[in-house]
Amino acid sequence: MTEPVIEPDIMRMSWGPQHPMSGQTRILLDIDGEKVHRIIADLGFTHRGIEKILENRTFLQGIIPMERMVMADTPNIGLGYVMATEEAMGIEVPERANWIRSMICEMARINSHLYAFGLQAESTGYFPAVFLWTTVDRTIILRLFEELTGARWSLNFFMPGGVHKDLPKGFEDKVIEGVEYLRRRFEQYWVAMVENATFELRCDHVGVLKPEDAIRLGATGPVLRGSGIPIDVRKDEPYAAYGDLDFEVITESACDSMARTKVRYREIGQSLDIMEQVANEVPSGPIRTNVPLFARAKAAEVLSRVETARGEMGVHLFTDGGMNPYRVKIHSPTLRNMYVFERLAELDEILVADIPVLINSIDPWYLDSDR
Amino acid sequence: MSEADFIKAIKANHPDLVVSAEVLRSKRVSAVVKREGFIEVAKTLRDDLGFKFPVSGGAIDFPKEEKMQMMYYLMNPESKFMLIYKVDLPRDDLKLPSLTQVWEAMSFHEREAHEMFGIEFEGHDNMIPLLLSPDWRGGHPLRKDFKGEGSEE
Amino acid sequence: MNIVLTLWKFIIEFLTVNAKPLLQIIVLPGLLWVIVYAIIAVWFERKFLARAMLRVGPYYCGGRFGWLQLIADFIKLFFKEMIIPRDVNTFFFLLMPVLLPSVPALAVILIPFASDWVLWNVGSLGMPMFFAIAGIAPLIPVFAGWASNNKYTFIGAWRVAYMYISAEIPMVLCAASVAIMVGSFDLVVIARAQENMWFFIPQFIGFVIFFLGVMIQSERTPFDMPGAETELVLGWRTEYSGVLYGFVMFTEYVALQAWALMFLTLYLGGFNGPVLFGATTASHIFWLVIKFVLLVTLVILLRVIFPRLRMDQMLKLGWQYLTPLAILNLVITLALKLWGVY
Repeated sequence: MTEPVIEPDIMRMSWGPQHPMSGQTRILLDIDGEKVHRIIADLGFTHRGIEKILENRTFLQGIIPMERMVMADTPNIGLGYVMATEEAMGIEVPERANWIRSMICEMARINSHLYAFGLQAESTGYFPAVFLWTTVDRTIILRLFEELTGARWSLNFFMPGGVHKDLPKGFEDKVIEGVEYLRRRFEQYWVAMVENATFELRCDHVGVLKPEDAIRLGATGPVLRGSGIPIDVRKDEPYAAYGDLDFEVITESACDSMARTKVRYREIGQSLDIMEQVANEVPSGPIRTNVPLFARAKAAEVLSRVETARGEMGVHLFTDGGMNPYRVKIHSPTLRNMYVFERLAELDEILVADIPVLINSIDPWYLDSDR
Repeated sequence: MSEADFIKAIKANHPDLVVSAEVLRSKRVSAVVKREGFIEVAKTLRDDLGFKFPVSGGAIDFPKEEKMQMMYYLMNPESKFMLIYKVDLPRDDLKLPSLTQVWEAMSFHEREAHEMFGIEFEGHDNMIPLLLSPDWRGGHPLRKDFKGEGSEE
Repeated sequence: MNIVLTLWKFIIEFLTVNAKPLLQIIVLPGLLWVIVYAIIAVWFERKFLARAMLRVGPYYCGGRFGWLQLIADFIKLFFKEMIIPRDVNTFFFLLMPVLLPSVPALAVILIPFASDWVLWNVGSLGMPMFFAIAGIAPLIPVFAGWASNNKYTFIGAWRVAYMYISAEIPMVLCAASVAIMVGSFDLVVIARAQENMWFFIPQFIGFVIFFLGVMIQSERTPFDMPGAETELVLGWRTEYSGVLYGFVMFTEYVALQAWALMFLTLYLGGFNGPVLFGATTASHIFWLVIKFVLLVTLVILLRVIFPRLRMDQMLKLGWQYLTPLAILNLVITLALKLWGVY
């Protein structure tokens, strides 16, 4: 990227891409002492052209590259594309499939939020305890995934018309067992992290994003809800089984990094509730309507929206009657939140030490923003 | 406000600038506007019709019809409508005033559309490549006539 | 029985009188002690923190206790390529890692390990000398960070300068209170004066401040901002590699050792403790080492429960709370001394 001009008396520091905390991106910080004057995000290190790849794949094949966008959250991402193709082809999904989809999406949300939660701990230098705890506890979810789908990360479990396989025997009980274990663990996280006085010092009043700014800059997901705005696609436009499930949109009014962390924390609890609901009440019936392998969609324009762990993802699908999509436009939640992050230096006073806290409070996944 | 009311409202506000407006399905509306009144309609959308919330932006190439379409996705935080705000551009004249003067958050999406489709945004203050590398010379990857030959340098 | 006791006394006498200077230089507090201590501390940190992190730590090298891992790491660091970046100031860049462990190690020689076991007994100059030597320590990271010619190291270096100064002033004030109380700067006299009561009771404010100071001076976790991994990679240490990196990481523990020993001498009774088997010197050394091990364990384990503070919060802590409290402590001590309580 061509770098913007540096103002006089300002030092420009490169935070990433070779950095223990940055991930696959580069963030340029214009700093004066410890104060950050300007943040410039340099994305694109993991650009693979997924939108172009999808144009050369059939609808079924497209699910696989699509899920590579966010590995911690593959079901949610895949569901966006699957729902778009279903709408374009006019396929109805059986009720049981919808419930199973909801459960898997919530499991993936827990998986992803646990990762974010652990990284948030690590970003304050609190590496020992929480990051590895969450990593260990993630295996509960991953084992359930493995039993259900055969894969731990990239599930490829949803397909146009329903889900790939039915729940194995006794799976519901295992889900409830896992939910109970994770609930116990979350009480410990609350004590170790959210109530930790030093962690509060580091996260309270850091990177305050007022509600009107969140709307103006187009924040999404926990960042938006951490600013007190109840926008959640699961509630606004219920997809899968979310219309029948009992849950609330979680918001926090503090607008800072701590609020975003708390939103994630409470969303994990809520996802556990949803998992339990589905395990107890999943209706019986078929799990898939049959769709031909090389299905064609009529010429149409479809925009589907899903709430991934990082925020709203939209898939705008244009079809021209062929076996492949004509064009797929993906709304990436991380790209939207990265813009908010870039502007935070103007909205609030930020120090160099706040940068890792802030960037993890928006929970970026650069493969998602770069596509 | 229902979807149909919105269609009526936008058509009544700018009868000569809005080319077409339709309801895709519940909570999805799309509007195509002329390039001349592009900013003006956008300001109406933001100030009067409540589309304060920018979501995304992108373009689509129609080589057969000799046009490209720039699309902006906007949301009304109250009624939760998603609006696809489109503007047609002839393929030999890809110039558009930048929408960052109305929604700043379109900055990233316009940078992406610029490198992927070659659309020029006038008045964008920071038009540098977003995803592609600075030494990329292979053309605009998301255009339909892109052959994937990569960098020529 | 009598023969055993006589033999025991003879051995003790030989070690404490005849072979004393040699033992002091080579074993305690000399080279061997520093190296063994650092290896054990690193092993402890890796193995025990791993339990808190739900993992096992070093496992294969040296059996399940991983005791050979540190030696293996040391050999690895020794033979690794040492990369010297092109634009560094080579003289300072190479000099500083060598100076780094020597300054705290030099300060250790002033510490009384027993009433007659002081490597360099400077009498009533003991405490001022310690602070004079230890006061040089922050300059070395500053030079190292500057010589590395890197933005991360530079920010890390100025953080070191701010942080050490904001901690050192309250620490000196607290130590001065102890000196006033005893009426001497001699560390042996200070340690002896605690035979009946350790000074953490009459000097409780100073005890707390000095403990925080120990954490700050040795860059332990709530105060490890100069090497803050999440923002500055490794702070002022970023550019060091190979054996220089080994030196730099080793220093952290040597600095902890110097300040922890000073802390013990000032507040926790120093070498005082029940005399075992009639061997005064040996039991003095034994008690100091025991206290030292417990203190270092505590300091290392505190890392489990603390995230890192921010630089402005650290400076606020140093100048807004610790320094006024230390002055208050000094005033109280002076007043009590004038009224003749001490």
